[in-house]
Amino acid sequence: MKSVIAVALLSALLATPAVAQGADAKAELGKVKPKDFPTGPIEYTVVYPAGGGMDVTARLLAKHVEKWSGDKIVVNNRTGGAGMVGHAYLATQAKPDGYTVGVIANLMWGDAMLRAQGRWAYTDLEPIGYLNSDPLIWVGPTDGPYKGMSVKQIVQIAKDKPNTVRAATVPGSMWDYILDQVEANSGAKFLRVPFQGGGAGINALAGGNVDIAQGFFSEFRGLADAGKVAPLGVAAPERLSFLKDTPTMNEALGGNEYQWIIIRFAVVPKGTPADRKAYLGAAVQAAMKDPELVAEYLKAGVYFDPKLTDPARMEANLKAYADAEREFYQKTGRLK
Amino acid sequence: MDAFGGLLTGFGVILTPENLYLCFLGSLIGTLVGVLPGVGPLAALALLLPITFTLTPVGGMVMLASIFYGAMYGGSTTSILLNIPGEAASVVTCLDGHQMAKQGRAGAALGIAAIGSFVAGTLGVIVMTFFAPAIAAVAIRFGPPENFAVMVLGVICTLYMIAGSLVKGVLMVALGFLTAAIGIDVVNGRERFTFGSIDLSAGIELLAVVIGLFGVTEVLNNVERVVKSTVVTDRIRGLWPTLADWRASWRPMLRGSGLGFFLGLVPGGGPVTASFMSYALEKRISAHPERFGNGAIEGVAGPESANNAAVAGSIIPVLSLGIPGNPVTALLLGALVIHGVQPGPLFITQRPDLFWGIVASMYVGNVFLLLLNLPLVGLWAQLLRIPYRVLFPVVLLLSVVGTYSANKNVFDLWVMLGFGLLGYVLHKLAYDLAPFVIALVLAPLLEQSLRQSLAMSPDGAMIFLQRPGTALMLTACAVLVALMFRRTKKS
Repeated sequence: MKSVIAVALLSALLATPAVAQGADAKAELGKVKPKDFPTGPIEYTVVYPAGGGMDVTARLLAKHVEKWSGDKIVVNNRTGGAGMVGHAYLATQAKPDGYTVGVIANLMWGDAMLRAQGRWAYTDLEPIGYLNSDPLIWVGPTDGPYKGMSVKQIVQIAKDKPNTVRAATVPGSMWDYILDQVEANSGAKFLRVPFQGGGAGINALAGGNVDIAQGFFSEFRGLADAGKVAPLGVAAPERLSFLKDTPTMNEALGGNEYQWIIIRFAVVPKGTPADRKAYLGAAVQAAMKDPELVAEYLKAGVYFDPKLTDPARMEANLKAYADAEREFYQKTGRLK
Repeated sequence: MDAFGGLLTGFGVILTPENLYLCFLGSLIGTLVGVLPGVGPLAALALLLPITFTLTPVGGMVMLASIFYGAMYGGSTTSILLNIPGEAASVVTCLDGHQMAKQGRAGAALGIAAIGSFVAGTLGVIVMTFFAPAIAAVAIRFGPPENFAVMVLGVICTLYMIAGSLVKGVLMVALGFLTAAIGIDVVNGRERFTFGSIDLSAGIELLAVVIGLFGVTEVLNNVERVVKSTVVTDRIRGLWPTLADWRASWRPMLRGSGLGFFLGLVPGGGPVTASFMSYALEKRISAHPERFGNGAIEGVAGPESANNAAVAGSIIPVLSLGIPGNPVTALLLGALVIHGVQPGPLFITQRPDLFWGIVASMYVGNVFLLLLNLPLVGLWAQLLRIPYRVLFPVVLLLSVVGTYSANKNVFDLWVMLGFGLLGYVLHKLAYDLAPFVIALVLAPLLEQSLRQSLAMSPDGAMIFLQRPGTALMLTACAVLVALMFRRTKKS
């Protein structure tokens, strides 16, 4: 319950300055609206299944963009291959006419760099608006031999007795990468149990089938409130305001590289006319100034990265994050 | 709060004109969604999710849940009438349901399907009323090794299902496993058998395969025969199940309910697996397994009950733990989150109005659905009077629309056509298609749970013997295989 109150407080704090901006946003949006656009509904493409974190983010965004722009938005889930199909669709098949917007996450970079095999690149999708950030959080049991232990203690056991601590992971993604980092830096060795998503791993943790799991706040909040699992470390540069007592992974293990965060943003396919792109971006930004949407997002346990909330610096800073990810892949031999 | 008090609270919440209307609307939409091939509950829930923003949390959840279980009622309709599964959980109903329709007994098949759905749905919600938290506490301990044992049991039941040549059946199972292996490896995230194609990297869409194998194959098989003017002309005998039908059906209904409920609880399981396993079970224990595939009513009653019970089973972990076991329940969870409700172990005590409201609505919804579906039986059966020259293009159109609407991916249409042709050829060569489809459904779960079990075990395969539940189930599997060999030797 504590976390819920914290979220409510935080949203109240953030909401105050945004109210005044709301009215401006609508006027601002009218100024950049092209004369001939849009004449029909705009499709927000989500590359993950309905009901997940990405889908909820997109549907809430669509609701508020409709409110501010008056345009009709249709959210469409183009799923398959853990996002690969939808990413490829947006980058290679979608018409760059402004009627297709992708509501995606930085997981797209990994698809582009490691799995697209040169068929498309992440630069084929141009960011038009930042939405929110959701860091990976290490979660431990509240029962059994590892009860009450810190990340450092569990990692130490995985070093002393390699291949005994069972860690849930999602293969070929940031769940795996952070385990790579921890193992490389500490000499520990986990038994990696593969799952199709973070939520499935958290459930296995609650059922005593793994000893440590990673997931997003929204995925384990219910179980944590009931004391079935406990957050141990946040893979973000700073502590989260609603998890003040949980250290960052950098604090817990010492270092500065344990930062694995889902960054959600909106894109248009490369080649979308500049005026339409500007308008679509302005519509997203207008919605993001709506305190109601901000509150909805905060309720889901996300935070807003100050490096990305300023539209002027958003594109450059996103590129910097993408470059850092490419560097990680090169360093670990995943990318040549 | 005890269950009776809770249920009273729930009915207090639900018995308002608005909530009853939403429950009815959801039941109606669910039935339609079930009837239309391709448009499954997942797509429908995703489409209607924004509408529930404007409703109260109770109203929104009542409507979404009723669409989910309502779809299980409607799903059998096109399976029985046209041999196109209304959705994945009704694939197995094609096998005997459509044969019954061809024998003029579409009404009996549709009637038993609706009644079986009602019985299972109601039994499921009764169990949910009294035992939800206790069941959830057990279900969460269910790990990869236990899942693996259940899936092995499923595969062995599949072997029992094989009609005709055992070699041909095993070949079909193997082909199903191979097809399921296409796409992204569940363990290391690498591509398998994709030949560099983005489309193949997403794997083969199950819905495209079954619509191809059943719907398209059916059309191809029929057009080459002498085209008669109507499907069954005046051979629509008796619209209602006979006393003999009842006698044959009530046990499969109860068994299907139990099995389906259990499989709904299992992570990764759900209505689809439940319907297949129920069919296999009924055929296994039947005194006349040769009747299956030729219009055995047990082959409709069991699976159609199982898929409804699985819905109730799969809703329990979502509401009492906040844990979704399949994509549809994940969407229900998403809907709760959008409404600002956090499902989890505390949900029942924190939001009794919502939990018990949803439970109560499921009693009401199942009654609505029975009242809605029984009168439709007569209407649907009349559809069979439509001449072939009109019916076949409609079947193909529905197949195409249904396949495309699942993922909005044109590639799936080629998959559908390809499997339609394959199904035609296999039919000519007297291969049984059912083992192929079941293998395709079970393979991803089987592979994942096996590799997860081995990954989490420091002692390799010993993990299957170290866990009592797993050891017990696998021993049962071994006994079944031994029995099967003995029987084959005798014959």
